[in-house]
Amino acid sequence: MDNKVKNYQANRIREASHGRGLIPPCQVACPLHMEIGEYVDLVAQGKVLEALQVIRDGNPFPSICAYVCTHPCEDACRRSQVDKPIAIRALKRFAVEFGGDRMIQLEAETTQSEKVAVVGSGPAGLACAYYLRKLGYPVTIFEAYSELGGMLRVGIPQYRLPREVVDTEVQRLIHMGVEIKTNTRVISLDLLFDMGYKAIFITVGAHQSLRMGIEGEESPGVIDGATFLREVNLGLKPSLGERVAVVGGGNVAMDAARAAVRLGANKVCILYRRSRAEMPASSGEIEQALEEGVQTMFLVAPTKVKRTNGRLSVTCIRMELGEPDAGGRQRPVPIEGSEFNREFDTLVTAIGQAPQISKDFHIRIGKGSTIQVDPVTLTTNRTGVFAGGDAVTGPATVTQALASGRQAASRIDDYLQHRYPLIDKEAEGTLSGELSPETIEMIRKIERLEPPLLPPEARLKEFKAVELIYNWEAAVNEARRCLRCGMGAEILFQDKCATCLTCLRVCPYHVPYLDDGGTIQIPADQCQACGICVTECPARAIVLRKPYNRKQIDEELEHVLKSAAESKSKPLIIGFCCQYGLFGTGALSSLWREGKAGIWIVPVLCVAKLEEVHILRAFEMGAEGVFIAGCGEQCSRENTAFWVLQRVERIRKALSQIGLEPERLQAFNLSATWGDTAEALDNFTERIGGLCLASAIKQEVKS
Amino acid sequence: MIVAEQKPLEEIRRIIAPYERLLLLGCGTCVTVCGAGGEREISFLNSALRLAQAKSSDGIHSFLEYTVKRQCDFEFLDVLVDKVNEVDAILSLGCGIGVQVVAERFADIPVLPGVNTSFMGMAKEWGVWDERCAACGDCRLAETAGICPITRCTKGILNGPCAGTKNGKCEANKDMDCAWILIYKRLERLQQLEKMRRYYPPRNFRVIPRPRRIVMKADVELGEDNG
Repeated sequence: MDNKVKNYQANRIREASHGRGLIPPCQVACPLHMEIGEYVDLVAQGKVLEALQVIRDGNPFPSICAYVCTHPCEDACRRSQVDKPIAIRALKRFAVEFGGDRMIQLEAETTQSEKVAVVGSGPAGLACAYYLRKLGYPVTIFEAYSELGGMLRVGIPQYRLPREVVDTEVQRLIHMGVEIKTNTRVISLDLLFDMGYKAIFITVGAHQSLRMGIEGEESPGVIDGATFLREVNLGLKPSLGERVAVVGGGNVAMDAARAAVRLGANKVCILYRRSRAEMPASSGEIEQALEEGVQTMFLVAPTKVKRTNGRLSVTCIRMELGEPDAGGRQRPVPIEGSEFNREFDTLVTAIGQAPQISKDFHIRIGKGSTIQVDPVTLTTNRTGVFAGGDAVTGPATVTQALASGRQAASRIDDYLQHRYPLIDKEAEGTLSGELSPETIEMIRKIERLEPPLLPPEARLKEFKAVELIYNWEAAVNEARRCLRCGMGAEILFQDKCATCLTCLRVCPYHVPYLDDGGTIQIPADQCQACGICVTECPARAIVLRKPYNRKQIDEELEHVLKSAAESKSKPLIIGFCCQYGLFGTGALSSLWREGKAGIWIVPVLCVAKLEEVHILRAFEMGAEGVFIAGCGEQCSRENTAFWVLQRVERIRKALSQIGLEPERLQAFNLSATWGDTAEALDNFTERIGGLCLASAIKQEVKS
Repeated sequence: MIVAEQKPLEEIRRIIAPYERLLLLGCGTCVTVCGAGGEREISFLNSALRLAQAKSSDGIHSFLEYTVKRQCDFEFLDVLVDKVNEVDAILSLGCGIGVQVVAERFADIPVLPGVNTSFMGMAKEWGVWDERCAACGDCRLAETAGICPITRCTKGILNGPCAGTKNGKCEANKDMDCAWILIYKRLERLQQLEKMRRYYPPRNFRVIPRPRRIVMKADVELGEDNG
């Protein structure tokens, strides 16, 4: 910047120290508390490497979560109050694949001397090992089976989580220096302490299927879900016969049924004692199972199994739903005299699983055969022994297990460093609450894009992954649906606020209001972070919580001006383009990808955030023409065009007073109804070329 | 609220031409609200002046910018002392009052106006301001149903409407409401139409001496018995 020009804004500058946003509900719901809003926004900007970085900061094995996470974040997503939640897991999958997660190599140095043993190599064990290695501890994983991964390997079928993904993560751990001992069942913890381990993390999972407790359960042809899936996943091909029944309504039941289909069973039927609405399996799983031809019998429970001539005769009883139980689900009640028989070749029982803990561990076991631990420190009744994962919680999700592993690593670190446990602070400033009907009405409805699936015919033959990945455009468009909860505007400088009511009048979502005391309030849970009030505020008292501030555009602009000066291209044309649009499907993306001589692009996070001073600066630094281009039909806002055109008019007025032609500033592609942007841009560059020539001639004549 | 409008850029450039170093001084009250001279406008003006200078290559100005909470009280101006020493003139985007108070506070430096102080009024909607009060010093709004004929009638007559009213609009501007029709309608609504039937004698503006001063504080002598 011209050093003669001193731009004092020394009064009350707080922007630099301005913090991050309020924590949105998706992040609160995530067991790992990942910064979901952050990476979704980065995907929307086409910054996939940065998105992956944010994902990796919060998740030890993002590629695994990208396949199998049950995404509680999507259930908490406030977009569902408008239309449907953001497809967060699919976006993570996109970032992981397109960002090249599998290429990332991690290193870890050993800086501590205390050895830690991790018993069990499921997601909790792997996560704990990962974080302990990062803290510098020597770590050994003990695994009873031949391969690492626990339920990731023996519980989840390959069509949901390809083995290569688990292999990559395991290789990465080995590269980080984690010692692996497979085919090693730990029988005594004392032995581990004798071997020099200072702390032990028990995470043996919940592999023991619960029994139904009915007559004939021991017959050949009856197999429990966990064992069945383990055999399938370890590459054995159990022979099932033609007709298979699966008892249960959870994810394991779905996995078993879908695996049976893939193993060639002609007829696979799920028997569930409640109705579909009560099924604990995730709805996507149920739908995909039905697409693959799995049949269902609801309100039915087996009461007896009899094996004759190699076939199972299963006696079932019909149920009806009675009073709700403690969990709120209606309790199934048998209808007397409604028994009936069905014949099957195989019966798979999948009604729940529990951990199986060796008595020789001498640790206290609680309800449902799970290990009793302090929920905060994860310590058991034995000193130096910690436990986590399904072994403590009973069957839960992969993400919960990862969170438990991460928690264990920090607590073990505290223990080994003789530190009082540094309890994770309660998240400060979370954001919750319903969107008001007026806000919802003004939010543009945009359909959720689901990632493509393999067609059902193609799925039946093999165990290939069913879900495919978004392409670039689909991912960007889906990510742009995010409402940016907690990133909204706030009046940072109350002392500057003149209560002029501009924000209240310009807000497209009718969010700011005047409270009874005569102060303007901008409720964080309603603000959509469009930034219009920030740019229009005459006192410059408002900022966005996530600082998409004017400095960001200033920096981008200075960078472009520098590069342009080096290239000496004439005439210099600067385009302020919507960053979101540059990676979408519209006219801007071709401009960005193909490039054009003399046109320099300054990406802006929505052109509604562009201020007059930025445009004036571009002219000041030698731009012959400046254009503003929005993202047209992809814009997630309704009135961007109005505000951009207001600013354009104002600057054109100033330009003409200075003696510059007002048409040197143009705006394009601001709304869905805009004409051909490419052609209009061509005309614009031509006109600017003409204006330059004309002024050069004028100069010539003058001199 | 006082409503002002920024002067055209050409005029501002002409006014500042003799001075090299300038302080662009905003005001955080009325002119901020009416979008003429708040922090945002100061920064726009700064950019526009720099651009003009870059394009004409005849200027050598340098600009400081600063916005105080209110220019019309000396106390708010104390923070400017150091900055004023670094400049040759101050371009105030405050109203006429602000410019004069700044000039009075900093006696040794030229203080120039950057806005035209226009009227006292209100925001009709975003970006539109309307005049409402002429500060006549003799308020008659009680008789005219809360609508001021002095500011809102083109002629400012006290006994209206005149013959120039047509369909509720003024003959001077067909888009402008006739203030006296508005007064009539509102009096009718308030059932006070008898106020229309009275004659209000013309006011003698000559009796108002300028500049006006209002004294609230009483003259008291200390140490004496008040009884």
